[in-house]
Amino acid sequence: MSPDVLDGLVQASQLNTIIAVAAGCLIGLVVGMIPGLTISTGIIIVLPLTFVLPPEISIALLLGLYVSGMTGGSFSAILLNIPGTPSASATAMDGNPMARNGEAGRAMGIAIVSSFFGGLFSFLCLFFVAPLLAEVALQFQSPDLFSLVFFGLTIICSFAARSLIKGFLSAALGLAIVTIGQDPMMGTQRFTFGEVNLIGGIHFLTALIGLFAIPSLVDNFTDFINKSPGHGTLTKFKSVIPNFSDLKLMRLPISIGAPVGSFLGILPGAGGPIAAFISYDYCKRLSVNPESFGKGSPQGIAAPESANNAVTGGALIPMMTLGIPGDPVTAILIGALLIHGLAPGPLLFIENGEFAYGVIFSFFWANIFNIIIALICLRFLVKVLTIPKTLLMPSIAILCVIGSYALRNNFFDVYVMFAFGMLGLAMRWLEIPIIPLLLAMVLGRQLEEHLRVSLIASKNDVSIFFTSPFSLFFLGLATGSIIWSLFAEYKRRKNSTHSSSP
Amino acid sequence: MINMRTRNLVASIFLLFLCGGYAYLTVNLPTRAIENSTQPSFFPWVIVVFLTGLTILLLIQVAVSGKQPKIERTHQLPVKRLIYGLLLSLAYLLALPKLGFVAANIPLFGGLMYLYGGRSPLWIGLGSVIISVSVFLVFRQIFQIILPVGAIGNIFC
Repeated sequence: MSPDVLDGLVQASQLNTIIAVAAGCLIGLVVGMIPGLTISTGIIIVLPLTFVLPPEISIALLLGLYVSGMTGGSFSAILLNIPGTPSASATAMDGNPMARNGEAGRAMGIAIVSSFFGGLFSFLCLFFVAPLLAEVALQFQSPDLFSLVFFGLTIICSFAARSLIKGFLSAALGLAIVTIGQDPMMGTQRFTFGEVNLIGGIHFLTALIGLFAIPSLVDNFTDFINKSPGHGTLTKFKSVIPNFSDLKLMRLPISIGAPVGSFLGILPGAGGPIAAFISYDYCKRLSVNPESFGKGSPQGIAAPESANNAVTGGALIPMMTLGIPGDPVTAILIGALLIHGLAPGPLLFIENGEFAYGVIFSFFWANIFNIIIALICLRFLVKVLTIPKTLLMPSIAILCVIGSYALRNNFFDVYVMFAFGMLGLAMRWLEIPIIPLLLAMVLGRQLEEHLRVSLIASKNDVSIFFTSPFSLFFLGLATGSIIWSLFAEYKRRKNSTHSSSP
Repeated sequence: MINMRTRNLVASIFLLFLCGGYAYLTVNLPTRAIENSTQPSFFPWVIVVFLTGLTILLLIQVAVSGKQPKIERTHQLPVKRLIYGLLLSLAYLLALPKLGFVAANIPLFGGLMYLYGGRSPLWIGLGSVIISVSVFLVFRQIFQIILPVGAIGNIFC
């Protein structure tokens, strides 16, 4: 066993790190369960803290929030039939009927325990797969890295958008934004218009705060006007600890949800909602009692919950080993690492092995604290659902301002954040997905750098991308993801034409 | 409510203008006389081609898609509230560098509380002052994040 593993375990088990994980879990459960606040919004709230805390502590805090945010989303889905996070949408289908049958505590207990097992499975995947993948990734040359990043972008566009064209348009806009600032090869200023603040480019964390938080604040304006029925009426519950027969029932859904979630987590852009629905569907097909699904089946809660928590560990694999984020949360984790001068990628395991394993073990602790805090404090935590939005939403607005200002102690970033908020609203109106734009902003610089380095090395011969087996493999996957997405879009259109015709 | 076809048309026209502007700026980027090297304008040109191609595809999609029915509005959009929110935010952004964090945040917080449905003046007053000041103190004193104090902020430091 590498000494880094033990060092990482020691680092993750320091009192400060453990406290950060526990605090992250507590915030995550609260943020996850409040409808209208996504995990991304929660992370934005604690983002300013990550600028001042040491890297291992800030990452531990963010990981706790990430893991528990997924679990927290299920509570409001079960109690109010309003998923706290998109990943909990599938949980509401059986969770809320159970709550209405007077079994809210049992439903939440099943959600918590399944989340734990899903998370634990993905921890094992992360622990065993990430170092191996990092070792393979060390052999990548510039053309391979370009093709890998290109594949990452195409798959994000394929998953994130209903229309592939709009997905790519969003990514192209993100790439155009990345070109603002200094050229990565020669340091030439591009599109800065003489503005000093633009020389360093637009930081993607500033963009992320605007793109996610401002539309969320506007959504809550709309929700205030169109109050959903049932909101605010909390169902009372007793014990949340699942009994032995429930644990037996959960075996099948967890054994489906955990691997499906971990695998889909690895694919950039796929994310929790897709994993949750796929696991739900598979579990329903394999269940001996499929007709109980949708009416309050414990298996219908365990499958999506284990899947969406398994996504978290899966998503950390490409983030840590290849530097490719799969969702906004892992993009923020990359940002938090970069702020502290740590570049995620295969070299992270070589140059900062202790830190890399520390992150993996912090993820383990996050799952442990998630189940402990959720089971013990659930009764008090659900009271958060009654916090008035009149206090919550303005507080988030203020924290967004702090987050964007504190990044570089600059008012300019606050204006940029606001501008991105407006862009996010416009994109939503036009049904152009936001995630490809954001991830293109994270990956754009790498894409340009590897493309230009490859072309310089090959004296502008593009065949360099087709001669390396790795590069060819990634370009093949990219083509496959585009074809698959086009096929899915064609099928969807055909189905909608059939259903609309008399 | 405007249907998707119209929205796509709006997006295409806007993006075509954007492509034109971006291409114009790319043409004017400085060149470097280094042999066997790509110019700083190389990647922006790739983006121009990519963005223009996609915009044309979106435009074609608009052209070939038939007339679509208007989308039924399921939610009432609080237009007035949104406009007030926007104006409040713009005023806040203008005032922030001059007034500093605390002094600018109190009216923003109060305004937002009102827009989110708060009606009690006492509740709004107390909420906006207490939360703005405590957030400032927590971040500045505990987490050492240097937030701007502005004209009257010094009393909190």
